Amino acid sequence: MPAPTITAKSYVLTYVALLALVLITVLVGFLNLGWGSMFVAVTIATIKATLVAAVFMHALVEKKLVWIVIAGALIWFLILMTLTLGDYITRGWVLAGK
Amino acid sequence: MSTTIAKLRAAQAHSYLTEQRGIRSWLLTTDHKRIALLYTFSVTGFFFIGGVFALLMRLELLTPATDLVSAHTYNELFSMHGIIMVWFFLIPSIPNTLGNFLIPMMIGAKDVAFPKLNLASWYVYMAGGIIVLYSVFRGGVDTGWTFYTPFSTVYSQTYVVGAALGIFISGFASIMTGLNFIATIHRLRAPGMTWFRLPLFIWSHYATSVIFVLATPVLAVTLLMLAVERIFQVGIFSAPLGGDPVLFQHMFWFYSHPAVYIMVLPGMAVVSELVAAFSRKAVFGYTFVAFASVSIAVLGFLVWGHHMFVAGQSVYSAMYFSVLSYLVAVPSAIKVFNWTATLYKGSISWETPMLYAIGFIGLFTIGGMTGLFLAALGIDVHVTDTYFVVAHFHYIMVGGTVMAYLGGMHYWWPKISGRMYPEGISKLSALTVFLGFNLTFFPQFVLGYLGMPRRYAAYPPEFQYLHILSTAGATILGVGYIMPLIYFLWSWHYGPAAPPNPWRATGLEWQTSSPPPTENFETTPIVTHKAYDYAGMKEELRLV
Amino acid sequence: MFSPPASMLREHYSTPEQQRETVTVGMWIFLATEVMLFGGLFTAFAVYRMYYTRGFDQGSAEMSILLGSINTAVLLTSSLTMALAIYSAAAGRLLRTYGLLLLTAVIGIAFLAIKFTEYYQHYQQHKVPGVWFESSSPDAGALQLFYVFYFAMTGLHAVHMSIGIALVVFYAFRTAAGRFSSEYYTPLEALGLYWHFVDIVWIFLFAIFYISGLHT
Repeated sequence: MPAPTITAKSYVLTYVALLALVLITVLVGFLNLGWGSMFVAVTIATIKATLVAAVFMHALVEKKLVWIVIAGALIWFLILMTLTLGDYITRGWVLAGK
Repeated sequence: MSTTIAKLRAAQAHSYLTEQRGIRSWLLTTDHKRIALLYTFSVTGFFFIGGVFALLMRLELLTPATDLVSAHTYNELFSMHGIIMVWFFLIPSIPNTLGNFLIPMMIGAKDVAFPKLNLASWYVYMAGGIIVLYSVFRGGVDTGWTFYTPFSTVYSQTYVVGAALGIFISGFASIMTGLNFIATIHRLRAPGMTWFRLPLFIWSHYATSVIFVLATPVLAVTLLMLAVERIFQVGIFSAPLGGDPVLFQHMFWFYSHPAVYIMVLPGMAVVSELVAAFSRKAVFGYTFVAFASVSIAVLGFLVWGHHMFVAGQSVYSAMYFSVLSYLVAVPSAIKVFNWTATLYKGSISWETPMLYAIGFIGLFTIGGMTGLFLAALGIDVHVTDTYFVVAHFHYIMVGGTVMAYLGGMHYWWPKISGRMYPEGISKLSALTVFLGFNLTFFPQFVLGYLGMPRRYAAYPPEFQYLHILSTAGATILGVGYIMPLIYFLWSWHYGPAAPPNPWRATGLEWQTSSPPPTENFETTPIVTHKAYDYAGMKEELRLV
Repeated sequence: MFSPPASMLREHYSTPEQQRETVTVGMWIFLATEVMLFGGLFTAFAVYRMYYTRGFDQGSAEMSILLGSINTAVLLTSSLTMALAIYSAAAGRLLRTYGLLLLTAVIGIAFLAIKFTEYYQHYQQHKVPGVWFESSSPDAGALQLFYVFYFAMTGLHAVHMSIGIALVVFYAFRTAAGRFSSEYYTPLEALGLYWHFVDIVWIFLFAIFYISGLHT
């Protein structure tokens, strides 16, 4: 096992950053952004998730194979999401020339 | 000669089969080879159960009227046939039997990465299977193996939740297996066994494992939602609350299309090995075949909407899925061309495994090409939900996967059991399977094109002659399947003892005794040759 | 230095390092399957949210942002204690590991307690689909759909939390029994990965269920 290059201080700092991001999420939520609210909330959640994965889960110091597994999971989830939503988004469209 | 037999017998006295005795040593084993045999036993049982349902369907279809069974019973027959064949035979068939047995051996390892997880997967699979069989016993399921909503969630009066639960549970066995194989292939290769020295059997199973791991969870969650909707009547996939039945289809096929690649990639894995061994030549274009396996796994996730062309998805979606479906045929075609090129100027022999391999290549090609017909939007509107589709997928699943499974079983039987199967009768049964298969399913292409819908027990009288041909074929096919069951069992005790490498083939699995010791190899092999190195094969490496 | 005692090395591995790395990869692959499991539900949620934005925003407005935010903070804290537990194991301070694991479990139970409080509140407001659902809203169908996803997804998450808590307690006792050392604590690492992943799922659940209706 490689010597843990992530110190206890890093963990605590990351934790504080995460709490701050929760606060920001809630505060932004009170603004009336329409569909932007969801977008911002998910974006901040993604940042939080990245922090948890990189620091708490050591993804930052793990070997390449782990990165590939993570990338694979994310890409495949995006495939499911994109192609399914793609159907629903294009349902109302009319073919050109009709 | 007698000393050789005596030596063989002596070797076989200390094999994975005999080193531990008693039922507990089998039910609590962590040896991948014994687990492979546990799976073989189960998978064979499910195959024959699913086959009985098929036979009953074909008997009903002998006459245009719904006279043998009621329409409701017929619905249950094709549903149970599909569910059992897909999830309890085809998906585990090659990976959990031949894959489990051979993957560690082919890479020079002692076992898979997580042996206890491997054993657990068999129990999980059996638990799922028992629950599904219980649902059959209590009256079955009539939704089709596809469980389309809202029929499955609102209107069906059969044991939908039970069947869905059984499948849900068995899905975890798939996930465990895929995870195990990926970790094993990455981490447990013997010294010198680089990625591009791996047998193509490994590449194909690696691709299969990726699909296992990424697709099956979506099936799990889809079945979960189906059960929630059915139990609580909360309309996730049906209209009253605003749900969309097509969403169920998106999520179901996101798994189920890659699932068909789970079913065919291991068959291709076997064929690569058989074609090389019985042409005594390296597979042509090794790198292309390896990358084709990976491409099939990746592209297979991008085409699911081709099952939904007439379901109500957007036209743009349909167009996209159609184009991608054409694309996914390319790597499969590359494999077929490369296998064929392997035969060219090879030293070909026609033992039974080779008969099955060549059968696979021809029948898979027909099945695959008819898939292209279906990928064309215009044609699909005409033939979707007809027997054309039924014939298409049976050409691939039965003409392809089942033949590859049988071919692989024959090829590796000496390694697994330490016995040779009887070559004469096995050739006869291969021929019976081939003829029976074509007689069963070729008429179905015609039926489908002429408009016979699938899942119907009644039909216009002018279709009867085609159904009679098909049922006759099914009977012959059934005989062809029973024959190996009998002679394999016979050979277990009475077959001649097999040498370590009866086919004089390349591959680490042939460098150890038949059957192998529990730890597979006396010493860890060191790999210095590329795969299928028939040209470089030295005389002394060819153990007889 | 970091190799497990010889008895921990399984037969089919050649080095302890190989074993540790394989277990880590294995756990990450399992987490990839979990991404796809929850991913299916997120996808379905996204589809319906797109179609029924008003009804879903209304459902989101009915959530308790106070309890949701507190729970998020609670779970993040348990991730910290878990990470520190493993850090302590690597440093050879196994007593600390034991304490931190137990603390993690306790915090996890606190999360579930808050969650079930929320569930009970929903029940009192007659917002549990399939059990007791009433709404006079013009978007009642969409609202009910929102709650179906809310209960299904947070429920599935709660199941994962429960399994996680049970495992944390189990491994805490194993730690106390002296099964681990600074040289061998691989199962704890794997457990940590699982725990953090369940935390990540909640982070996204919080984002999609609690925020979009806040501004009303």
